[in-house]
Amino acid sequence: MKRIATLLLALIMVLSLAACGKDNTDAETGGVTKKEDTAKTDDTKKEDTKKEDTKKEDASKPADDTADTKEPVTIKFSWWGGDSRHEATLAAIEKFQETYDWITVEPQYGAWSGWEESMATAFATKTAPDVNQINWNWITSFSSDGSAFKDLNEYSDTIKLENFSKSSLDLCTLAGELQAIPVSMTGRIFYWNKTTFDKAGIATPTNLAELYAAGETFKNVLGDDYYPISLGEYDRMILMVYYLESVYGKAWVVDNELQYTAEEIQKGLEFIQSLEDAHVTPSIQTITGDGAESLDKNPKWMEGKYAGIFEWDSSASKFQKALAEGQEFIVGEYMKDMGDYQGGYAKVSLAFAISETTPYPEECALLINFLLNEDAGVEIMKSERGIPLSKNGLEVCLNKGLLDTTVAEANVKVLSWVSFPLDPKFEAAELKNSDGIYFDAMSGLSYGDYSLADAAQVLVDGIKAALAK
Amino acid sequence: MAKNVSGISIEASPGKSKIKKNLRRNIGFIYVLPWLIGFLVFRLYPFISSFFYSFTDFQLFDGIKEVGLMNYKEIFASPKIMKAFNVTFKYAFITVPLKLAISLFIAYILNFKLKGVKLFRTAYYIPSILGGSVAIAVLWKAVFRDDGLLNTALAFFGVEGPQWLSDPSYALFVISLLRVWQFGSAMVIFLAALKAVPNDLYEAAAIDGAGRGRQFLSITIPIITPVVFYNLVTQLCQAFQEFNGPYIITQGGPRNSTTLISLLIYNNAFKSYEMGMASAMAWLMFIILTVFTVIAFLSQKYWVHYSDEEAK
Repeated sequence: MKRIATLLLALIMVLSLAACGKDNTDAETGGVTKKEDTAKTDDTKKEDTKKEDTKKEDASKPADDTADTKEPVTIKFSWWGGDSRHEATLAAIEKFQETYDWITVEPQYGAWSGWEESMATAFATKTAPDVNQINWNWITSFSSDGSAFKDLNEYSDTIKLENFSKSSLDLCTLAGELQAIPVSMTGRIFYWNKTTFDKAGIATPTNLAELYAAGETFKNVLGDDYYPISLGEYDRMILMVYYLESVYGKAWVVDNELQYTAEEIQKGLEFIQSLEDAHVTPSIQTITGDGAESLDKNPKWMEGKYAGIFEWDSSASKFQKALAEGQEFIVGEYMKDMGDYQGGYAKVSLAFAISETTPYPEECALLINFLLNEDAGVEIMKSERGIPLSKNGLEVCLNKGLLDTTVAEANVKVLSWVSFPLDPKFEAAELKNSDGIYFDAMSGLSYGDYSLADAAQVLVDGIKAALAK
Repeated sequence: MAKNVSGISIEASPGKSKIKKNLRRNIGFIYVLPWLIGFLVFRLYPFISSFFYSFTDFQLFDGIKEVGLMNYKEIFASPKIMKAFNVTFKYAFITVPLKLAISLFIAYILNFKLKGVKLFRTAYYIPSILGGSVAIAVLWKAVFRDDGLLNTALAFFGVEGPQWLSDPSYALFVISLLRVWQFGSAMVIFLAALKAVPNDLYEAAAIDGAGRGRQFLSITIPIITPVVFYNLVTQLCQAFQEFNGPYIITQGGPRNSTTLISLLIYNNAFKSYEMGMASAMAWLMFIILTVFTVIAFLSQKYWVHYSDEEAK
């Protein structure tokens, strides 16, 4: 009896394995078929430009899935973010699976903390998920030769690229390949807690003179614990670059060369230090002593003791939500008296990319198109990843009033102000991370470990070393 | 006729019986095979490959090139790395003695026949199983931030507390205290050793007029020195490899005052993608730790008393 049972079990196991093998083969065959079909579609497209026009009209409709064999396919999709982004993306995935019922999407998501490290390892070991939300600089860091991400030009039948401007797609093009689709553009801008400024009896600052005066007023009227703005190390670095670009009218890095001398950078650091000296921003030691993981989790921000931030327009909503009830959060103005030029830059805030290793690039492209271009996906995602760059995505959001008004207002102000390009290496890990050069220079200056000249030299040496890599 | 494991006799061909004989002969090896595979793949292979990588400029996304001893030279030339080694030594020399002393003291108290002693033993062990988690980071920050529990309590007595987390002179102590607080496992080992000390020795000492302190120093300590030695070596190894505390609470700050070498290795490997340099630092750390362990073992003959040696 035991022998019969064993035989039966062995037979079931063999059959199961055979079935698995059949699935794989079919999936592979499916992949080949899809490629052939894509090629056919390309040929047809060349022959018939009218069909191209029709496609443009269909940019908002579900992508053509006739090329698919509709064998069940499972793809993995990774992103980082906060709770509201997770909820919206999960809802969008559900809707996507209803529309494209042969595709199952396995989500992998979490907070930003530690995310970049784990994704770097995944890309280096070729084990990354199929579709990935990526930071703009990951294209340069992980795929300078195009080896980590698929060239999305090859999937232009599925992803409606006509929804994006050429300039925005160029930002994600490296080594001659479109390695990702940009989701939104973002830049830094001031935000104020108007309630605290009202309490101090002054208006929110619109120029540097008012900002310095606010520091003094806060100290005298509200107390030593109150500051008009809280600037961490990286905030200081970005504000300094905005300031220097406003003063000198030249981009930070051009053609892999730092455009500023140590003396010029010293002037920028002097500006940053003057904010601390004038009680405009707390020292780095004070911020560290607050013991908060980030500013939006800092009780002093929540209570209005820190009354301003210099943040990405796409991240503002988390700071707004963190405020205690009854506090008014408003978008500030760029300070025109910083210099003769409109300093600052905008960058791709996030992008979607397909891993080079995925066996199902078509299905991945369908998911990206659904999230960015299709009405059903856009309506769920709204402005969870910033103001959509996709023409149709933006149109849907505007027509249906789906945009967060604060995020939209800030984004309009950022994009109409900033005028300088950003080199992707500005966000290189050895510069930007908490043990990187920016943190060392800014905290060293604030703690008094570095003089202005020392801090400027630390920045120059560190940035040049990073650019040389 | 052959017997299977459960003792049931079965008919077997000569071929089958040979296989079974081999199987029986190597059954021990089969049992340890899963561990062995794990050891080879997840321990030995990374161990050897990291040694090779330490002589290269291996960058996660930029390929690999041999650079000889360059990484090791850079380590000694880099003030940041040398500071991390210095901080690690300080951390180990604060944490290990403090943890051993506290765990021995608590174990000594819990060895008395007290009411509810089992509850106390469990309570004191709980911090050890919490490890390094986000919850612990939140708790520690809530206690040690400028307006945290500790400074609020000190202010109640009119004392202005220091800036525990943001002052480079205090931050390392805060990190060290986290590990000291998690003294449960060392305490349990001490407790087992204390229970093994024969009661008649204490009774004889008491008859001779020795007080509790004298009994502890002259009877308890000498008898449990092998366990003290064991805890010393394991705690030393743990302290030199400490990662969780600085990673979850201070991220190495302020001003690198809590950047232990393991955190710097992690940052180099997974944030800057410099695997070659990270491997060299790991190997240097391994060599230093080996030296300390060897010194500890050599020092045994001067202060550790094994019962079998007494018999000789």
